Amino acid sequence: MERVIQETGTNLYSGILRFYSLNDVRKYMKELLERYQRDYDRSSNVIGSLLRTEGGKGMEVIMSKGWAKVGAMFVDATDPEKGGMELTFQLVTEMKPRISKTEEVLKTFESVESLPIPNEATFVLYLHSGIPERLVIDTTETKPEAYAYKGDYITID
Amino acid sequence: MPYEREDVLEITVVIEDVDAARLSEKATENATSNYSLNVSLAERDRNPDHLVLSYSLELTSQPAMAKFKVSGSATLKGTKDEIRGGISAPDDNRPPPVLLEIYERIYSTIYLLAGALKVPHPMPNLLKKSS
Repeated sequence: MERVIQETGTNLYSGILRFYSLNDVRKYMKELLERYQRDYDRSSNVIGSLLRTEGGKGMEVIMSKGWAKVGAMFVDATDPEKGGMELTFQLVTEMKPRISKTEEVLKTFESVESLPIPNEATFVLYLHSGIPERLVIDTTETKPEAYAYKGDYITID
Repeated sequence: MPYEREDVLEITVVIEDVDAARLSEKATENATSNYSLNVSLAERDRNPDHLVLSYSLELTSQPAMAKFKVSGSATLKGTKDEIRGGISAPDDNRPPPVLLEIYERIYSTIYLLAGALKVPHPMPNLLKKSS
């Protein structure tokens, strides 16, 4: 049976991540943006495809009238197809500003990279609902010295 | 139920290059031979949750009947403390856990090559040479 609801989205979180170089921070944010973009494209394709199929009907094809407030949340028990589409639409709408903000952070990241940063510094990135929002240049916890090991052994039974 | 991270260091070993040579026509699989192992580990990439090492292991039989050289990468994933534990030798006579893991992973390859070359098989465990 064909699935009615398109499940999509990224696990967004608020959290603190430590990196050993600004290049690693940039790489992480770039990968984050690519993931958001992929999810956005996939979800907006679902909406776009439905709107084209149901040509002329406008937004009513993705707006369910089955929502009822149950406890502290809204529940749709009568129109799963439109209810699911509405959720996807809401997700797409919320992803747009997240993508623009992450794009902006990446585009202007050069200004962070041009700061006078001690070589031994590490970097603490704060993500707020998936958006890279703050960065701490930490000179108190430094990157460990490069690891190297040499040894001579014999093989035994 | 709250998520609890398992306290386990994950080590992934990849073989990137293998050289094997039969050094003596007199060599047989059953000949008695000890292998000496020269090891080199070097950091390739590091982040707080992972460390990538390049490794190079050179095994030479005594007397000289065969030589194996294996190199590649080992990735340690875990917390900073777990990674530190993985690369630190417990004492002067024992190898760091990551080296044991690398040797264990490559051992089957060397064992098969030794059989194909008709040279003595290396033993599966390591003992540090006294300096």
